[in-house]
Amino acid sequence: MMNGQKKRGPRIEPFRHRVETDPKFFDKSWKKLHDAIREIYNHNASGLSFEELYRTAYNMVLHKLGPKLYEKLTENMKEHLEEMRTCVEAAQGGLFLEELERKWNDHNKALTMIRDILMYMDRTYIPTNKKTPVFDLGLELWRDTIVRSPMIHGRLLDTLLELIHRERTGEVINRCLMRTTTKMLMTLGSSVYQDDFERPFLEVSASFYSGESQQFIDCYSCGDYLKLAERRLSEESERVSQYMDVKTNEKITAVVVKEMLSNHMQRLILMENSGLVNMLVEDRYEDLTRMYTLFNYVPDGLTTIRSVMMSHIKDTGKSLVTDPERLKDPVDFVQRLLNEKDKFDNIINVSFNSDKSFLNALNSSFEHFINLNNRSPEFISLFVDDKLRKGVKEANEDVLETVLDKVMMLFRYLQEKDLFEKYYKQHLAKRLISGKAASDDSERSMLVKLKTECGYQFTSKLEGMFNDLKTSQDTTQGFYASASDLADYPTISVQILTTGSWPTQPCSTCNLPPEILAVSERFRSYYLGTHNGRRLTWQTNMGNADIKTTFGNGSKHELNVSTYQMCILMLFNSSDVLTYREIEQATAIPAVDLKRCLQSLALMKGKQVLRKEPMSRDIADDDSFSVNDKFTSKLFKVKIGTVSAQKETDPEKLETRQRVEEDRKPQIEAAIVRIMKSRRVLDHNSIMTEVTKQLQPRFLPNPVVIKKRIESLIEREFLERDKTDRKMYRYLA
Amino acid sequence: MAGGGRVRFNVGGQVFETTTTTLANAGRDSMLGALLDSSWNVSSSSSGDGAAAVAEYFIDRNPACFAVLLDLLRTGSLHVPPHLPEKLLHREALYYGLLDHVRAARWGAFDGDRLRLAASVPGRAPGDGTAIRAAPDGGCCVAHGGAVRVYNWMLDERRPVSLDHSQVNDAAYLDAATLLVAARERLGKRDDGGMAAFSAVSGELRHRFRVAHGRQAKSFTAGALAFDQDASVFASCKGRLNEYGIGVWDRATGEQADFFYEPPGCALGDADKLQWLEGTNALMVATLFPKADNCFIGLLDFRGKNVVWSWSDAGAAASHDDKRVLHAIAMEDERSVCVINQYDDLGFLDLRNGAGGVRWSSRSKLMNRKVPGEESCYPKLATHGGQLFSSMNDSISVFSGPEYVLTSTLRRSHGGAICDFSIGGDRLFALHNEENVFDVWETPPPPII
Repeated sequence: MMNGQKKRGPRIEPFRHRVETDPKFFDKSWKKLHDAIREIYNHNASGLSFEELYRTAYNMVLHKLGPKLYEKLTENMKEHLEEMRTCVEAAQGGLFLEELERKWNDHNKALTMIRDILMYMDRTYIPTNKKTPVFDLGLELWRDTIVRSPMIHGRLLDTLLELIHRERTGEVINRCLMRTTTKMLMTLGSSVYQDDFERPFLEVSASFYSGESQQFIDCYSCGDYLKLAERRLSEESERVSQYMDVKTNEKITAVVVKEMLSNHMQRLILMENSGLVNMLVEDRYEDLTRMYTLFNYVPDGLTTIRSVMMSHIKDTGKSLVTDPERLKDPVDFVQRLLNEKDKFDNIINVSFNSDKSFLNALNSSFEHFINLNNRSPEFISLFVDDKLRKGVKEANEDVLETVLDKVMMLFRYLQEKDLFEKYYKQHLAKRLISGKAASDDSERSMLVKLKTECGYQFTSKLEGMFNDLKTSQDTTQGFYASASDLADYPTISVQILTTGSWPTQPCSTCNLPPEILAVSERFRSYYLGTHNGRRLTWQTNMGNADIKTTFGNGSKHELNVSTYQMCILMLFNSSDVLTYREIEQATAIPAVDLKRCLQSLALMKGKQVLRKEPMSRDIADDDSFSVNDKFTSKLFKVKIGTVSAQKETDPEKLETRQRVEEDRKPQIEAAIVRIMKSRRVLDHNSIMTEVTKQLQPRFLPNPVVIKKRIESLIEREFLERDKTDRKMYRYLA
Repeated sequence: MAGGGRVRFNVGGQVFETTTTTLANAGRDSMLGALLDSSWNVSSSSSGDGAAAVAEYFIDRNPACFAVLLDLLRTGSLHVPPHLPEKLLHREALYYGLLDHVRAARWGAFDGDRLRLAASVPGRAPGDGTAIRAAPDGGCCVAHGGAVRVYNWMLDERRPVSLDHSQVNDAAYLDAATLLVAARERLGKRDDGGMAAFSAVSGELRHRFRVAHGRQAKSFTAGALAFDQDASVFASCKGRLNEYGIGVWDRATGEQADFFYEPPGCALGDADKLQWLEGTNALMVATLFPKADNCFIGLLDFRGKNVVWSWSDAGAAASHDDKRVLHAIAMEDERSVCVINQYDDLGFLDLRNGAGGVRWSSRSKLMNRKVPGEESCYPKLATHGGQLFSSMNDSISVFSGPEYVLTSTLRRSHGGAICDFSIGGDRLFALHNEENVFDVWETPPPPII
């Protein structure tokens, strides 16, 4: 409007904004920071204004002077650190570490403040340019300027190692100083700690313990040496927890274990008079525990202990089972095995942490040596027999139960389980028939144990035996209830044994006394009358009898004797003197049994019912016997035992074995047929291994026998050989 | 500290008084934290001669911004007066070392149903964007032809990242400072394309990920990217000699760790989408229409080197109008895979049993509001915090609850169809097809009461 007329107004010149940075800007600013840093290192920071310094650094970064600032800072810090280095180097002897610690604290404090001033640079310039942050830079400079300087590097390490050595030899050192020093190394980075301290420390430790172990292994016993090793290990762990990085613990433990244990493992374990075997023999639980824990660290340590223990058990076990002295008493024999088992069970539970692999080793060792003696099955059965017989001291059923459990352990080790079964059946039959079974419950509990181990087919017959006894009782009662005129006869009690369930021997019936014969015939007709289609055979070798006797001197006794003995004694009702031959003819008792009966009647101390002429042990055909009229006994009831070898005699043993072998044949054949039925075609070796595998839980079949069975099956046309490959068998449906 | 914990500041001439407790919220690694630290106050603490003595500090900065930041330290919430430019505030926050505090108070925890459009950032790159990826700290990157443009959480652009300007197929943030880029191999060049890790801050190349077949390094085209929570990075790879499969690398060193060669019937090398399933310990691979004629979705187990689950529509889709799976995502419970077709139907595949079909939940009639003539984009899917998101045309639908009911729709009037979107750092970024613009959606801080 108005200014339209004015031709010439004031000319507005563009303002020339000259952005002129002060050329001295950097130098001035840096001087400010430089002076401040000096004051900080001189512990004289109280006069400084943080805000001003921060702003100064901020402006420098803002004006793109970051790189230059960073460079100057690095240079400056280095100078200060070099000054510090001179001080540390000058420190004498023991003051060296203290001076180093003091300077380290100073530097740390200063570094925090320098970082505060340069915080803005840390946030902006450094991440975008991939530089080391100020604090880390300060640590790196400390590392390179001081810790790794030629004058300090070696000295620091030597001082630390020297102090540790002194502590190992029993001196007290300043652990606090150690801790700050190692902590400093850790702060500088794990690689610094590892390279500058940990690795040399481990090397020195290795040579220290190598020397120490050499020195001690010659003069210490194994137990004492292990005590020392244990102490050293815990000392080192404690040292690490006091003034080192926790990760060192594992490494130093490995060093001590290697130098003190691994390198001397064989020598320690096998050390004479104090090694593992001694510890085992003497039940030194504490030493064994220590050995187990320490060698747990050693590679293969426990394996070695285990194998030494195994061979020890096998050796002692072998001498136990093959010692002819021990074979005389089967009960003692088995008791010793049980004791041995208990001993090692205890050791493993107490000292070896119930280690499964040790238990397995124990089991396999027992399995090994128990089967070295082929009479073990018989002895174990005899042991059970002894325990289950009447009159055993341990009336407590719980105690008995645990003993039986332990016996079952032994049973499991047996390879020839079928042999044991055979014996067990015999012994059980004897117990039952002679009425000597102590407790029905214990018998049944043993039966249950066997059932779980061997299965139903074995125990079904044993159960049949129990049932027979029960029905016999009822039958006897029934017999006496059926007739009223039996009171005149001697009382009989009949046990009817089912054939097949019982281990009966082919029995030649003896001539029973006429009194008995009459009543037994009555019984026979009663029994056959109530049960159709049965046959009754008298097993006179198994029964027993109570007879009332009046001797010539007037003393009256009731004698408990076997059926055979009864037959013999009854003869003396009609004659005073009889020769052996006469007795044999009259009774028709088999010679072996007869001799045994006569021996027990005439030769047992204190129970000499008969007198023998001549008074020798052996019985000849012409020896004569008469009633011993001078017989006395404190007891009214006198039990005349049989001189029965509890153990089997050699021919009996042979017979049992033969019978077992015979019984095995159908089992082997059944296994072969089962396998072939599923496989149809199989080569010879595979059959052998499979049959062995199948039968292993019962017994170890003899390869020769298997081969014979195969031949027999081929003959009977169950199998045939392959026409082209003679090693192959084919199943014929 | 003297003065009963009271502190007085003179900021650019204006006096503020506050307590040490309030300032402690700044943290020791901030300027204010250092200012009050005992190492800088040796003299004042020694001469604390009475309760009346209040320490006073002078700070040569903008008082208006200081007021806002002090308020932030006092209350934890950020209130910026309208006249105060954000850039100014950010600069001051950086000076005090409080930028992270500002970021944390700037927006609230992500909730798909409470999203507000916070910003629209225009792009300057020519052509269409390929992909947008959210950074864990609230920044993002946009893949554009031969380069990836990187934005920090203040949406300032940083140095773009490129792998010799090869066409970028996919990008992924390993962490806030590390960006992975998968690029196409160009014919006639050696050691080209493939994959690389960059610094998201400086744009510097950290290292490349190379593939060797039979001990011989080969150039390859990297497609989709994924990584697990430990150390591995996965990418679908196409080599020139039919070396198709999934490559596995160590994320820190870039060393190739494994290569899962494509078995017959399983398209792996061309995959559009890879997703690591942490709970299942398997990698989901999806190769979809239109890149492949038949869609294939499979789970790979790298320990046993086998495909433990797979689904394909081979033989099922005959005509053009049949429903084709265009995108797939494994749900967060890793029990099913959600898929979407060209009619914007959502479907689910059960991962727990074998080859069942897609259970489509039809809602196409309701939602089909396609504007004729407008260029459309293939739909995309995402999951976050139990919610399912799908983009279609110019809007993003939010589905919530166990039945995935539609609960919100995010839409803006211009920019055209959404070609990609991504959720991360408590923000949702949507890249539009036209005008090369991307939108930033965030949840406002919780209401005062």
